[in-house]
Order: sequence, then structure tokens, then C-alpha cells
Amino acid sequence: MSRLEAKKPPLFISEPLTGDAVSQSLSVLSRILKSSYGPAGRLKQLHNGVGGCVCTTSQSSTLLGHLSISQPVLRVLTASVRNHVSRFSDCGLFAAILCCGFIENFRSLNVAPFTVIKISRHLLGLCMEHLKSEACGCRVSVDFSRVETLACLVRSILTSKPACMLNKTEVDHLTSLVLKAFIYTVPSRVETNVVLGKCVIIPVKGRRVVDSTVFPGLLIEAPEIQLGKPLAVKRTGSNMIKIALFSVSMSGDGFNPEEGTVAVHHGVSLEVSELNQLLHVGKQLVKDEVGLVVCQKVMHPSLKQSLKENGVLAVDRAGLSVMEPLGRMTGSQPIASIHSLSPGCYGTLKDLCIESFASKHFLRLIPEDTVTCSLILCNRSETAWDELKRVCETAEHMLQLTVKEPFALLGGGCTETHLASYIRYKSSSLPASTFKDLDCSQTQYQLVADGFCRSLESVARSLSHDGEEILTDMVYGHSWFVPSGSPCVSKWSDLVSRCGCGMNDNTEDLGWRFLQGQSGCPVIQGCPKEPSAKVADLLALDCFAAKCSGLQVALETANLILDLSYIIEDQN
Amino acid sequence: MAFRDANARRHIGLQQLSSLASTGRTFLGPMKLHKFIVDEITNQSSLICSAARLIGSLDLTNAAGQLLNETIQAQNKEFKTGVSTLLFLVGVWSSAVVECLQQNIPVPAIVSLMSEGLSSCCERIQCLQIPIPDVKRELSIPINSCSHQGDDCNFKKCQVSPLAGFGSAKPALASVVKAVGDKSPPVLSGRGVPASSCLTRKLTHSRHFSTPGKSRFSSQQGNFQPYWDGMGPSADLCGCCGLGHLAVALSHGNQTSVKLLQSIAAHQQERAECRGSSQINVAGVATCCVLGLPESYSCVSPGFVTLVSPEQATVIKHFADKTLRVLLVDGDLTEQYRHLGFNRPRNVRTILEHPNPQGGRAGDTWLRRMLDILMSFEVNLVLVKGNVCEDFMERSVSSGILVIGCVARDVLRAFGAATGAQAVTYLSQLDASCVGNGAQAELWKARDGRALDLGELIPARIGAGGIDLLTVVLTTALPSKAQLLEEQFWTLLYRLHHALKDGKVFPGGGAVELLCLSHIQALAEQPGPPGNDKAMRELPSPWLAEYKSIVLQALGSGWKRYLSMLLCNTARASSELEAGTLVDHHLQTAAACGSPSAYILEEFRRGGVLRSGSDPFPDQVTDVKVCDNVAAKTEAWRRALDLVLLVLQTDAEIITGSRRSQILNSPMSNEFMFL
Repeated sequence: MSRLEAKKPPLFISEPLTGDAVSQSLSVLSRILKSSYGPAGRLKQLHNGVGGCVCTTSQSSTLLGHLSISQPVLRVLTASVRNHVSRFSDCGLFAAILCCGFIENFRSLNVAPFTVIKISRHLLGLCMEHLKSEACGCRVSVDFSRVETLACLVRSILTSKPACMLNKTEVDHLTSLVLKAFIYTVPSRVETNVVLGKCVIIPVKGRRVVDSTVFPGLLIEAPEIQLGKPLAVKRTGSNMIKIALFSVSMSGDGFNPEEGTVAVHHGVSLEVSELNQLLHVGKQLVKDEVGLVVCQKVMHPSLKQSLKENGVLAVDRAGLSVMEPLGRMTGSQPIASIHSLSPGCYGTLKDLCIESFASKHFLRLIPEDTVTCSLILCNRSETAWDELKRVCETAEHMLQLTVKEPFALLGGGCTETHLASYIRYKSSSLPASTFKDLDCSQTQYQLVADGFCRSLESVARSLSHDGEEILTDMVYGHSWFVPSGSPCVSKWSDLVSRCGCGMNDNTEDLGWRFLQGQSGCPVIQGCPKEPSAKVADLLALDCFAAKCSGLQVALETANLILDLSYIIEDQN
Repeated sequence: MAFRDANARRHIGLQQLSSLASTGRTFLGPMKLHKFIVDEITNQSSLICSAARLIGSLDLTNAAGQLLNETIQAQNKEFKTGVSTLLFLVGVWSSAVVECLQQNIPVPAIVSLMSEGLSSCCERIQCLQIPIPDVKRELSIPINSCSHQGDDCNFKKCQVSPLAGFGSAKPALASVVKAVGDKSPPVLSGRGVPASSCLTRKLTHSRHFSTPGKSRFSSQQGNFQPYWDGMGPSADLCGCCGLGHLAVALSHGNQTSVKLLQSIAAHQQERAECRGSSQINVAGVATCCVLGLPESYSCVSPGFVTLVSPEQATVIKHFADKTLRVLLVDGDLTEQYRHLGFNRPRNVRTILEHPNPQGGRAGDTWLRRMLDILMSFEVNLVLVKGNVCEDFMERSVSSGILVIGCVARDVLRAFGAATGAQAVTYLSQLDASCVGNGAQAELWKARDGRALDLGELIPARIGAGGIDLLTVVLTTALPSKAQLLEEQFWTLLYRLHHALKDGKVFPGGGAVELLCLSHIQALAEQPGPPGNDKAMRELPSPWLAEYKSIVLQALGSGWKRYLSMLLCNTARASSELEAGTLVDHHLQTAAACGSPSAYILEEFRRGGVLRSGSDPFPDQVTDVKVCDNVAAKTEAWRRALDLVLLVLQTDAEIITGSRRSQILNSPMSNEFMFL
């Protein structure tokens, strides 16, 4: 007997931001994110509480991916940050913390939301204009003919996640590997349409980080390969190796129906007929002079045996991650069905060899013109490896983004404080026509600008996790950190050592001031200067494109949330 | 999702680590005390003697404990040694870090200084490394004669006393002790006088080999049965005497395993010379535990020794000296088995149109078909990686085919290489090229030919001409000790393997730790940061100086407590306090003589570091020089510190999944926050 239940009416919540629960959740989320930010950020243990594996991380993608959030307002926030991370890989925490800061700071202003939105968009425009201008003091250009700035960028990303557990030697080693891997992915011939290749990360867990290495070409683990024997592989007339790539399982269970039931007569074996079909495919491959068969999934042992007897190398369980680069580098079409083999789907390889690494054996596939490389990534523990893998992927992505826009932004909080002091200076010298265009008063503009700057500064402040005081200087607008529990010192220069990004030190008096919370923010008399110093060798740098996008995403999302007047919740 | 603040100043995670680690203290050093692990539900207990098994058997539900277990198992998997060191250091460094936190040192400073300090120590101790070719020279400079052997044995006996608690333990124990004094090495079969006299001469300064052996010859002969003579290593045994020294030094006093190891080294040496490498081939070694014989009967047999049923033993007897055709199967040998990755069809229904009640069971057809295949290829021996179904086992025995299940992958590989057999997954794959030739099987005999009708299982030996496989037969009268013996043997084999792989060893007995300690003290007094770390560069110098001295002392305290515990566990100090004083004394002497590393090396050459005038057993230290693995030790340190620092930097736990109501109802619900 079935029973029909009347539909519940949807729940309307007006002014969703005013609720206590929302602000509490927002402040918890903001605390989680802020405490994870930067090279000294605290780690979070993610686990299911019943003995599942423990993931230790401080990455926004992992954190936001695992948080199950019931507040719709917060879900808007996390969704847009995750979307940003999926496009730029980097600056996820920056965007999320900044967004929380905007919401908190703008909400407490006594200004109508639509005015706040208009003014803040104008402020964002000022920021973007400044960041894109030549005179921008927190931007450095990246010279691809020199390795130093690139190395700084990669190093900053590697050191920004402490759960990777790297020491200095290991950071240096990985920095050079990541750069090497990136260079392998750049095509040697320049055409009008340059497409960068791909770096595939091969996991080797439980080994030392310094054992990591990079190979041009693609490595596929082949545990059954026999080491002692020379690798005999069939070649075509033009001395190339023909390769067939299967994305379909060849384990011989293809008759397994998804749903419904298959009835067969006694004595008929679906398994045998499926195997015969596979063996038939094998014969076709032999006839077509294929030298190497790679299957993403499992191959039936009988098929492997039959291919081997005919001099065809067969590798199964290659995994999804190599399929796309493998198809691209060999020009083969992944075969998705064992019933249709068209000769056009085969690809070619120039060479094949065996590489052994840490008791694992790999086949190295070398194409004619390689833009694919394999990074064998080692780390001692499971959780540190996982974190390191994501960090290396971020670094590779960041280098690709930097090719498009060859700039970097100063890290260590310096970009944030510099932008804040720029906005403070700029907003105090705007012509009256601006306020008229924005339909607001100068006071309103000043209030919103102040909130905007405080939000930026709160991101820089989030880099401090051990009670350090944060200072800014009156010349460049960089950020400086002073440890808590001061030993007695008399001079400013004893209090500070080097600014967050590492560009300036304490040798000349830069007019340091405390960057305080709510009031008394210093205003620079004039635009913050562009540092005259040469780029130091250990600068903390951030990806330009990712940070610009993070800034925009944070403001747009905050404005969207501030503009919410109703939440309609379907209760069924 | 729930979220919990884990830490603040009283760091819960670090406290958990330190209390978990304290359970493994007695495993530190060569005199390990055994432990019983009792399962409260099944009431079963097992005897353990390693940190890996201890932590593996604990019910670890908290995140820090799980990370600790993961770290321990990773070290054990890679090195099989250094695990107790790792566990101990996790404990002491956790407490040391908590103390740093209590002195308000910021977390990044602790992380950076400790990590740089460890790197610096690892670089510093490189000067102590002894290259393998020099090991023999370093180890055989004699200082004292071996006149105190008797005392030594007694000393040993009282050290392993926990075992003496068993009534039945006595015979086995006695035989262990006897093995020290009476038995000559069962090691090198060889063919004659030159070999063993060479060995005797080379090893005179080791207490294990010092007794002039009247019975040496006969006992050696018995060790490998006559028909193995041709396969034994050739007369050139001098080369492996270096390995002999190394094995003794790495054994940390485990005599039984040393002899087995030397035997393996001697056998593999010959093969290695052909290959041009001096490494130990771990994959070419298997172990087999035989219960009911005294431990002194343990030995190394060429080929594969395994336990078989009486029925299988009958088949083997029938084989006599026949060469066997061998088949290797890399899956299970059951009707239901399918290769990995094959998804069993769920929705296939078979329709039987003409039921035939006399048709017999379906399984019968399969059995008959499989046996027919084996018969048609004249296979006598089937080695199976997985399980073998009982019916098949029975039928094959009655057809005179020997089927052995649960054979390790490496053993299959060795047989494949020696006989030309190619492993198949299903018998239906079989063709003539898959079957190998030239295997033999016989019942294994102890070296005195003693009957081994010991019960349900009988040891059998399967060989093949030129097979690169040795089986270490570990005999014991105590079933509860079997696993221990096996573990101890593998630990030692891996130590030797890694020593050869590293190409160098550390002087043992606390030498490296002592140098680390002295280096840490020097480092703490130096101005400037220990490395060029960014976090340290940003730190103004007044803070740096203060933090550096406290944090480096904390790092050093780990090794100091390690050395103290070592002295206590080996009864060279009666309390941690006394041990600490002794360590301090040596540190001061080392610092005073200008070059601590030279002092430590000199002390090691003279018989061992950390000796004291009031040592109750002065000769115990002087006549055995111990060595440690390089990579295993430094990796254990690094893994220990990584774990402590990882937990230190963690400030919250996030419980994933939807267990909201469960957490809300738990007593700890007020610790959690929800989003």
C-alpha cells in the first residue's frame, strides 16, 4: 500500500545575512580558512572519525571539497571559490578569506547594499587598473630567459603548504624538477598556435623526496616486464612502433548486463564467447602490425599471453590519468569497444624503453616530438605525498598561466598591504565627479573604501598565526611581521628583519607603523613607491593571473551574498 | 561535517603520540624485552618483539595514532629496521616539542629550527660512515681477547630471561646459548679445508667464531646434504669473510641469524660475482618455519622448502630422483577463481533444458578437465600463488601430481627463471611453452638426518638446477617463537641488504647519536640561523638567538634520551639519571678533545662509545663492535621528526561525512562546531 504525502511548502528566509546562525557559521568558516593560510598556516586533519585514512592538509581545494555545509550563503561562497580553484589552481584560500572579509566588513557599514556594491566595484576597478599598470609597485615582470624569478614563483608555491613536509634541500630539488618538467612541455617548434604539453605525475610513495625525478616521454608502470631481457618490439616499415590504446575493459566480462537478466542455455558459456571475441581482436592487432597495446583497464590473461606469443607488448591497468596525454602524444584514438577496430585509431611511437625506479618497472614511451613528460614524485608518507602532488600540479599550472601574462605579484602579504595603501591614497584624492557618477556621498565612499582596505589587510594579517604583530612601511606599503613576546629592543630596525615578500630589509628607515585592526590606519602621503632594489633571489611571489582572479571572485561573490534578500528552501 | 579545535598550548595530538610511543621503550637496543599481545575478544595472545607489530596490534582510533601507525609501517616496509628508534624518537621529540610550546616559542620557529637542525646533523655524521670495503679493517682491530666468553653467555641468558618464564622454553633457550659457545658456523659448505681454514683465520677475533672447532667438519658436511655439494659455493670464501664481519656487526648480538646470513652471503656471493654486483638478493630468499626441532637446527637450503601434508609427502617419495615438469599458476586454483579485475556476472541465468540427474556435480567436470590438462602436458609439479581447492588437491595427489599452494611471487619467479616455465592464470591457457623442466622434490632432512615425522606437516624441499633461491629453514621447539624468529631473520637480512646497497655503514652503539648531540650543542652556540630558511630569515636576531638555543636543545634531548634508554636497556646504567650523567661525561670529553668525530671514531675502534669504568660487563662491549644502517637510521629520524612536526602544525580535526547526529549525541559534542 502506498501513501501519498502532501508536499511541504517551501521555506522563505528573508534577510538571510542577519541571522545569528549565519554569522556564526561564517566566522567558523573564516577561522578555518584563515588559520590554514600561508607557509606557517595550521593544518587540518580530515578523517571520517571511524578509522578511515587521515588526510592532513591546508589546501583550499581539499578543505572546501570535504566540508559539508548546510548554510546556503556559505555554499554560494565555497562554490565560487572552488570554481576559481578549478580554473587557476592557486589563490583559493586568498579568495575565500578575502570574500569573508568583504562580507564581514561591508555588512557592518550603515550603507545600503546597492551603494556598497557600486562603490566596491569602483574600488576593484582602481585595483585592477593599478595591477595592470607599469607603475604598479607590487608587480614584477617574469623573464622567461632567466630562471631566477620562475624559481621564486615555484618555490613560493612549494613552501606555501607545510603539510608537504619539505626541508630546504628538498624544496630546491623539487623546484628544479618542476621547472624542468615545465620546459619539457613547451614545444620546440614555434607555430602560430602554441599548445603546451602535459606533465604526468607518477606516484612513488614511501621514498625520499630527493629521489624524485623527471623523464621526457610517458612512463607506464609495467610490473610484468622482465628486466634481464632486451625489449623486443615490433616495428612498422617506417621504423615506428604502432600503438593501440584501449579505454574499454578487456578483462572478458563485457557480457555483464547493467540491468536486466540474460538467460543462456546450459552448455553455452558467455565467458568463453567473450574470450574468443577478445582473442579475435588480438589477431586483428597482430595482423595490423601493432607493436604495443595499452589498456586503461584489465586485460584477460589469455589475451595477454596470445599477444606476447606474437611479439606484441601488452600493458594493462594503465589508469585514466595517462589516457589523455597518451592519446595526444601518439595520435591514437582510445578504442572504446572491442567490436570495432578501425585502422585509423592506431597511433605511433618513436621508441620504447624500460626504466626501473624504486623496485618498480616502467615502460617509457617516447613519441616523435615530445611535449609530454613524467614526474616521478616521491614523498615519505601518504598524506604528505597527496599534498605534494596537488602542490606540484598547482606549480605547473601556475607556470602555464604565467606564460600568458608574464608577471608575478609580491607574496608574503606585501601585495595586500600595498594595494590597501594605494587605495587609501587614491580614494582620498578622487574628483567630486566620481561620487556623483556613483550616486553616493564622499563619506559613504570613504567608509566602503576603508572596509575594502581592511579586508585586504586582514588577508595579510591571516599570515600571522603565532601572535605576530603586523607592520607596514610608509614608503613601499609592504607588510612586516614582528614576533610576539618581544625581547627588549630600542630601534624599529631591531624589531623587523625583512618584509613578507623578502624584497626589503631593515637597513634603511622605512617609517614602520603598526597595521591596526579597526582604526588609525596609516595613510601614505603619496602613492606607495615601486622598490628600486633588484629582485632578490628568495622572493615570495604569487601567480599574477590567479591572484587577480581571486580578488575579482572574492568581491563579486561578496557582493552577490550581500545582495541576497531571500532564501527559498525546498523542504521536500 | 564537524570541526574541532585540537590544540592550543596543551597539544592533544602530541600528547597522544608521546604516550603511544612510550609503550615501545623496551624494544630499543639489542636487548629487547618481549611482549604479549592479548586479544580481549578471542582471548588469543601472541608474543611480539618489534615496534611495528606492537603499534600494528593496537586499536588506534585517533588521528595521531593512525598517522603514527602509517609512519611505522612505512619504515618497516622499506627497511625492516629502525622501527623502534623511530617510535622512541617520536615519543621523546613530541614531549620536547610540547615543552617548547610551553615556553611560547612560535610553531614555525620550532618547525624550521628542528628540521634544519636535523639536516645539519645528518650532514655532520657523514664523516663517521664506514665504506663497506673498510668494514673488515675497522671491525677486526682487536683490543681484548675473548676470554670472558662464559660470563658473556650467562649475561645473555639473563637478558633474555622473560622467555625463561615458560616451562617449555628451557630447551630452546639452552640451545640458543649453546650455539654461542659450542657450535661452529654452519655456514659455508664449501668443499674442503682451504675454505674453512681461511674462515677460521679471518674470524678469530670475533667471539662467535673463536672456539677452535674439532667437530667443524662433520657438522658442516651435515648441513648441506651430499647431493648439494655440487651446488655449494666454490672455494673462494675469503671474499665473503668481509660480509661475515659485517653480518656480525649488524646483527647486534643475534647469533643464530648471523650464521644463516653468512651462509646466504656465501651462496649468493658466487652468483653475484657472475652478475658483477655485490648486493644481497632479498628476492632470492624464502623462509620456512619448522616446529619441533631445536633452534640450532636452523639452516639454509638451496631451493624452496615448504611444509606439505602427509599425502603430498607420499607423492614426493614416489618421485624419487625423477626430474619434474613444473607448472606455475599466478592465481588461485579453484573453479570460481577469475583474474583480478574480472567482474562476476550477476544477472546471468542458466537454463537447463534436459535435466540429467546422473550428470554428477558441475564441479566434477571442472576437476576432470583440469587434471586432464595437467596429464596431457605430463606436469608433475604445480606451484600456485593463491589457494588450491581441496578437491583438486586430493585428486592431484591420487594422480601423482604435487600441487603446492600459497607460494610467494618471488619463488614462482625463481622457478620460472630456472626451469623456463611461464606462469599462467588459468590451466586452460596451458601450452607446451609454459611448462618448465628440471625440478626435483624430496623430503627435507635435518642435518643429522633426524626424522621429521613431527605432526601433520612435513617439510619438503623443491629444487631446480641453478635456481637462484635459498630457503632459510628456521627450526624451533616453541610455536609462539616461530614468527619472532622469522621476523628477526628478515630484519637482519634487510640490514645486510641495505648496508650493501648504501655502500657504507655507521659505527653503532650510539656513536652517531653522540656526535649528533655534540653537534647540536655546537650549533646552538653558533650565531645566525642553522640554514637559509625563509621563516628564519624573517625572524629578527634577538628572537632567533633565544629560540634557537631552546629548540635545538629540544632536538638534542631526543638523542640524549635515546642514548640513556639504550644504556638502561643494556644494563650499563641502572637509571636514566645515571645514564644521562655518563652521556654528559662523554660529551664533555668529546668537546674537550677538539674534534668530537675523531674522538668518537677512536672510541669506537677501541671497542665502543659510551663505555664507563664501572661497567659491570666491560668485555661485553669491547669484543663486539656493532654497526648500523645509514639510510635506515637517518630515514627513521626524519620520519619521526616529520610526524611530530606534522601533528604539531595541526590545529583542528574535521570529521567528514554525515555523522552529525552521532557526534551531537557523543560526550564530546561540545568540542565540535558545525557549519
